[in-house]
Amino acid sequence: MKPIVPDDVEPSSSESSARFSYSAIELPSLVATAFLLVWDIAVRFSGSDLFPKPIEVLWGLVELARKGLLVKYVVASLFRVTWGFTLAVVVGIPFGLLLGSNRLAQTAFNPLIQGFRPISPIAWIPVAILWFGVSDAAPVFLIFLASVFPITVSTAAAVKSVQSVYLRAADNFGLTRMQLFRRVIFPASLPQIITGLRIGLGIAWLVVVAAEMIAVNSGLGYLIIDARNAGKRYDLVVAGMVLIGVIGWVLDVLMRQIERFPSVKWAYGTTHD
Amino acid sequence: MSLQRKVLLAAIGWLSTVTLLHLWLNTSAFEKQTVTSANPGERFRVGFLPVTCHLTCPVTHFINKSMSGDGTFEPMRFNGWPELKEAFLSHHLQASFILAPMAMALREQGVPIKIVYLGHRDGTTMMVHKDSDIHRIEDLRGKKIAVPNRFSNQRLIIFRAFKERGLSMNDVTLLEMPPPDMPATLKVRAVDAIISGEPFMAQSEMDGYGRVLFLTKDVWPEFISCVLAVHDDVIRDHRAEVQRLVNGIARSGKWLDKTMEHRMQAATFAGKNNYNQDPKLLEFVLSKPPDRVKYTNLSVRRKDFEEIEVVGRDAGILQGTARFEDYADPSFVTDDNGLQPYLWEATP
Repeated sequence: MKPIVPDDVEPSSSESSARFSYSAIELPSLVATAFLLVWDIAVRFSGSDLFPKPIEVLWGLVELARKGLLVKYVVASLFRVTWGFTLAVVVGIPFGLLLGSNRLAQTAFNPLIQGFRPISPIAWIPVAILWFGVSDAAPVFLIFLASVFPITVSTAAAVKSVQSVYLRAADNFGLTRMQLFRRVIFPASLPQIITGLRIGLGIAWLVVVAAEMIAVNSGLGYLIIDARNAGKRYDLVVAGMVLIGVIGWVLDVLMRQIERFPSVKWAYGTTHD
Repeated sequence: MSLQRKVLLAAIGWLSTVTLLHLWLNTSAFEKQTVTSANPGERFRVGFLPVTCHLTCPVTHFINKSMSGDGTFEPMRFNGWPELKEAFLSHHLQASFILAPMAMALREQGVPIKIVYLGHRDGTTMMVHKDSDIHRIEDLRGKKIAVPNRFSNQRLIIFRAFKERGLSMNDVTLLEMPPPDMPATLKVRAVDAIISGEPFMAQSEMDGYGRVLFLTKDVWPEFISCVLAVHDDVIRDHRAEVQRLVNGIARSGKWLDKTMEHRMQAATFAGKNNYNQDPKLLEFVLSKPPDRVKYTNLSVRRKDFEEIEVVGRDAGILQGTARFEDYADPSFVTDDNGLQPYLWEATP
């Protein structure tokens, strides 16, 4: 399909990249600045001395950095999310591959998975404490639980959506079951699995606050809960929210880099056409 | 390099880096372990919340550590009652500061724990908005009150005060709410009154929008909110450690009540090291008035708990199936005058 361009003359590559940089950096910056202004004005207008202005949040972040807590808390949250997510990948992808390719396994496990999937990680907090105590294992377990189901389900769906023409072709070539899996099913379903991993990572990062409600003494979730306990420190509550938002965005950007590999990119090219 | 190899290497690199950084920055994994003969093996863990009702826990630890370099136990700070209770029930904590009616209810439910000492006396305030038309307890009729927990003595004090004034709990709406959220809720007048342990109530008073309706000392003298509870098997197998813990709590309580200077010192070091709260807020709670919260006469007395039993049964949170002998062990401190305050002063 021919791309739609606004003018009769197609822009040169340098022009188009200049236009791109304008829309990719300046436009979002303008919107973000407008958001901060509206936020600031709204707080001033309301006369609230509880909800912080953007500049107060910035000073809160500076205070955290000065105390050396900023790096500590970011690292702690990244550590828990990394391990929880990694365990979810290690369990979820093979399990999803099994469910997607084996009807018996799917029939057996699907009701259980669909039953566990909607349970919020917050509901698991008592279980996590009873099983893992107050160590790092409890939040890692909660993050694992939050992300393992989306990864499993999307992997199973990816395997089931592999086009039958690939399977028939493989059959004609006389591939063994293992060869079929490694050379056809897994590569064909990889793009959709990557999408599932992006969703899983997003959810893993999303539950960090709930996961760090347990008696850990570090992390961005802990920062928010601790700031609530510290009296009128809502600047630090919002600072924690800002950090979670920014880091979550960066993690997603990094994850999307995997989609640029040719063995994954092919699927997006055909899908978007 | 193939995609799989690149992704695998990047993942292993990230996992290793973030793990090492976490161990270095947030744990003591890279610190030299010093296990003294007085402290072999695992430390005795005691749970507490950042409330002034539990202040003796970090104060005892801090003084012990300053005097002998050994805290004798490890205070573990939690951020909410449910998590604290669950860690205690699952034996991850050997002892914990816990709501008195909650400890009694747990015993009724068959959990083998004993109350061995009190955390404090008084220390709870009911606040209303400064512009509110509530000036007496009777004015609470038809109002909305935030309480910390169904099993909190703060709920029972409302029940008791209402009964004395011919009111019933049906005359008000009670909302369970984490105490840290209460001041903001009062400020925007989403509720008419808030009641919890300190320092959360004092925050609204310091900021000028809260007014004290009553302090517990004026409504239920010698009020008990939180107690120190220990697992039965820990008492049986580690009695000496429990005795040392109770002695420490008793002595630090007396140290706190000995002079106002001690209280101000505690506000500074506990606010900074354990509570992460503005020391000025803790100073306010510990001095305005000085008997807002008390840390002496903390031995476990039958009549105090039998009174809680009666009110708890009336309020529907206790069944009356566990008696004083079942849920309390007063043998650790039988004479409140038997222990002396710590002889210790904080260095400025």
